[in-house]
Amino acid sequence: MSLIAFAQASFNQANSLYYILTYLLFFVLLFLLYLPGVNTRLTVSMLSRGIEAQLNVIERYLNESKSKMEQLLRERGVQDPKSFVNRIAEMFIIDPVSIEPTDIIGRMRLLLRTGEDKIRDLITLVIPNIDSVSRSKLEVSAEVVNSLNLIYKVIRHYLILAKKLNSVILLYQLQFVVPQLVKMSEAYSKAMNTFIRGIPVGDSLGPLVAAYLFMKADKKWNPSRDTVAGEVEFEGRKLVVIKAEGPMATVGRPGEAVANVIEEYKGKVSRIITIDAALKLEGEKTGSIAEGTGVAMGDPGPEKISIERVAVKYNIPIDAVIVKMSMEEAITEMRKEIYQAASKALELVKKIILERTKAGDVVVIVGVGNTVGVAQ
Amino acid sequence: MSSNQQQAVSVYTVIKCVNGDYETERPFQDGDYVLKVVGICPKDGGNLYIAGIYALVPEKEKES
Repeated sequence: MSLIAFAQASFNQANSLYYILTYLLFFVLLFLLYLPGVNTRLTVSMLSRGIEAQLNVIERYLNESKSKMEQLLRERGVQDPKSFVNRIAEMFIIDPVSIEPTDIIGRMRLLLRTGEDKIRDLITLVIPNIDSVSRSKLEVSAEVVNSLNLIYKVIRHYLILAKKLNSVILLYQLQFVVPQLVKMSEAYSKAMNTFIRGIPVGDSLGPLVAAYLFMKADKKWNPSRDTVAGEVEFEGRKLVVIKAEGPMATVGRPGEAVANVIEEYKGKVSRIITIDAALKLEGEKTGSIAEGTGVAMGDPGPEKISIERVAVKYNIPIDAVIVKMSMEEAITEMRKEIYQAASKALELVKKIILERTKAGDVVVIVGVGNTVGVAQ
Repeated sequence: MSSNQQQAVSVYTVIKCVNGDYETERPFQDGDYVLKVVGICPKDGGNLYIAGIYALVPEKEKES
């Protein structure tokens, strides 16, 4: 009997000792967590783990896109596609000096075109007999690889820096931005497949509307590189339709083309109508159409300003017709809603022509966007 | 994963007669592009051309 009582007492003692130790450990941990250094290290470790996981996703997209480009090059007989792709991935364009803005557009145009030409020339150098459509697909692939590489390296840079400096603030900033960049990278990765297959993307909306008008064009010519113009008669008006030259995956040089066409007609143009895809705001429907004033064009500046300058020179009003979509929808396969919006946008363009011009007028219509999978 | 999602997207080619009195659709084939002439119109003997190429995206992917 006394033995059982002794065992029970020992058990109770051990149990209470265990509780005391647990409480002690809990308070020690709580105290340690309140120490600034420990707290920071713990937060840094947790935040950086989350960002690293997302960075791995971006790295996977980058590696996938590199492999696809290498495969494309290998299929066309390139001996060492890996080093070629790595060279393309690391290319960059330095922004022109902006503290002295005089002629910044001219300088920016030169730098952008030099960058484009460099990639085109390199592709032509390794595949001398490549056709223009295949070359344009490789050019877009190069742009995707280059962009994904930049996104990956910039996030990695800030992640390593934040870990080195134990900077929670930097990691919080990354935590806010990285999910959007993962989404963007996914869109780029998907876009590469779409461009390689030659399927029109959401951004091909403008060229698609222009292509419908081109069907009746009796005269076609190239007013600038990779860009085509055609004359069409409509209700007594002469329409000069301009779009990038399809079915290549290119945006052409629409600004330069419009300027050249208007100079060809000696400024006797009564209206310019631009049609383009535009980024929708959250809550707006994909494929919804809106009408506005100005040049509907998403370029960094040189092409858009060419149209504005020639319009100012000859006092030509500019209309814009836009079809709304998300960034991902703009660079991946054209959704049915966007395809259906093309006919509606064309009807709106015709309405604008009838309402704001008269018989005998010359109207310039520009279908802005990448014309992959859309000919003329 | 992107490649799996890509497979879920169905791409269709819309084929029309130039006069617009006939329209059909078929799955996209490599080499298709808008305004490509793909045959003779069964209605009026004119050109049959590709009027559009579009993708049907599953609702789940649209929301993401």
